[in-house]
Amino acid sequence: MVRVTMQLLIQTIIDGLLVGGLYVAISIGFSLAFGVLDVVDFAVGEWVMLGAFMGVASRAWFGIDPIAFLPAVFVIFALIGFLVAPLIYRVRTSRYARPALMALAFTFGIAMFARGTMMTAVGFDPRTVDTDLVSGTLMIGGLHLPWLRLAGFLFAILSTALFMGFLFFTRTGLAVRATAQNKRNASLMGIDVKRLSAIVYAIYAGMTAMAGVLIGAIYSFTAQVGPQYSLLAFFVVVMAGLGSVGGVLVAGLFLGMLQALVTVYIGADYTLAIVFGVLFLILLVSPQGVLRRGLAA
Amino acid sequence: MRARGANSARLTARSVIPLVVVVVFLATLPLWVDDYWVRVWTGVAMWAGLAASWNIIGGYAGYISFGHVAFFGIGAYATAILMQPGLDWNFFLTLPVGAVVAGVFAFIVGWPTLRLRGAYFAIATWALAEALAQLVNTVDFTGGSFGLSTPGNAETGFFYYAMLIASALIYLIIFAVFERSRFGYKVKAVRDNEAAAQSLGINTTSVKLQAFVMSAALPAVLGGINAYWITFINPQSVLAGDITDQMVVMALVGGLGHLWGPAIGATVLYLSSTWLSANFGSSTGYIAMIGALLALIVLFLPDGLVGLMPRARNMRLVRQMLRLPDRRADPGPDSDTSRERS
Repeated sequence: MVRVTMQLLIQTIIDGLLVGGLYVAISIGFSLAFGVLDVVDFAVGEWVMLGAFMGVASRAWFGIDPIAFLPAVFVIFALIGFLVAPLIYRVRTSRYARPALMALAFTFGIAMFARGTMMTAVGFDPRTVDTDLVSGTLMIGGLHLPWLRLAGFLFAILSTALFMGFLFFTRTGLAVRATAQNKRNASLMGIDVKRLSAIVYAIYAGMTAMAGVLIGAIYSFTAQVGPQYSLLAFFVVVMAGLGSVGGVLVAGLFLGMLQALVTVYIGADYTLAIVFGVLFLILLVSPQGVLRRGLAA
Repeated sequence: MRARGANSARLTARSVIPLVVVVVFLATLPLWVDDYWVRVWTGVAMWAGLAASWNIIGGYAGYISFGHVAFFGIGAYATAILMQPGLDWNFFLTLPVGAVVAGVFAFIVGWPTLRLRGAYFAIATWALAEALAQLVNTVDFTGGSFGLSTPGNAETGFFYYAMLIASALIYLIIFAVFERSRFGYKVKAVRDNEAAAQSLGINTTSVKLQAFVMSAALPAVLGGINAYWITFINPQSVLAGDITDQMVVMALVGGLGHLWGPAIGATVLYLSSTWLSANFGSSTGYIAMIGALLALIVLFLPDGLVGLMPRARNMRLVRQMLRLPDRRADPGPDSDTSRERS
């Protein structure tokens, strides 16, 4: 009996960590887009949702396996993101009163537009992304590790590593970090903040949509699923501290684990309530995030 | 002081006639339209009150709440639960209970978040609404996903007047508190320049918190009336996220931080949504439309419909609100830098 419960615990934690990897992949671009644009993008979950539908479409329309289609998904959504970003930038830097608040409302409007359009177009039936490239389950010492989840985790690690490489080893990455720290000084150093915001937003949209394809392969989804993932991404970046990239790694994995543990031991219906409770405590105790590097006040 | 008095006297003379026309129109409505239109205008009254309540925190205090449906839902559930057979509360007595519970929730959420950037507050309120909807779906005393029915069999006219009077009271409270009291000036001062307000001895977090609690308690009353009106509530009908979306959009379309903006936005949007659903019947298309409208308003008409009225530009309040250049003086130091941290 003890052995069985121990094994369940380990299995749950591993499941959680595997999913947490995907949360990291969603949140890391999101966190950086916040750092550069200074806007919390309420459409983050809608990029996940649209990406998942693109995964369905790749199979239905082009007959290409969704996993193989991932690079194309990145290009498509990076392009869309590149076109949307200047609008957000325009609202954020406008001369009207309270641009920060208006920018929030703007991304909220975009999210509603995406959700409503997809709900009208495809209805309410739950779907999944079907892939043949990855299937089956890996068994290690009595633990079930579906290859699909492993692939999702691998993708998350890879894309996060690539992203970090871009941030810390390229000149553009340096410019991104400088802009996230101080927009005024960055633009005095000759950085085109507007163009840079568009690039960061494009990368973020592309990455989030790719993660969406994998999430859609693991869980079923509808057009209404966006806000749920937005909420998870928010949780991760608030816990990490808004704008802190390092904290996202810790917070994403923690969220995956927390969610898995709550689902197994308390009940899936209480996940959001408990997630909210934890979020609340974090805001109360340490608004700059777990690593205390965020920009809270 | 004299200048302000003269200014408000002029304003009153100018706005009294349209106000009388609107009041007479609304008060006599059930006498000359049929039942369907009375119900439609009950909805208009409700949404005008909801948007105005949202406007307190969104427009006057400058913090966006994306979870205001939580307070509407709390009011609805408070009324429904207290009116269940066995408890049998009087309908009117349930309304203050909902308002108090909503106020307490607002206090708990606002307390840690209102001292942080606006983004934290937006996220926290949204998370509260989502968590609450899921919780209500699960626990027993709210009837879970099946919901609750209220023993409501009063007639259409009753609900029309109840909603109208509640909303009118909300506007009266907002007018008295935010346009005519010291507290209103404090709230606006905190919104426009928090550091300066703080240096003048205003406890900024406390002022924002008071505004938020007020902004949360008022929609709970409307939620209670709504629960009695529609006689059956469940999480999908009174805790759905698109109720918040509508409040935000109505306030923005009408004019953020303007007294009559939310009423104008609510009337225009609710009537057009009724027309749309009567003719096309797609509620998902409406979500897409509202989203596009929200984005377009923010891009091209940030001052909302009130900003279109030519006379509005002469009103001192609106000019301050939108930071339009004063005829006499420059707007002063760059307004962006003072709000950069919001």
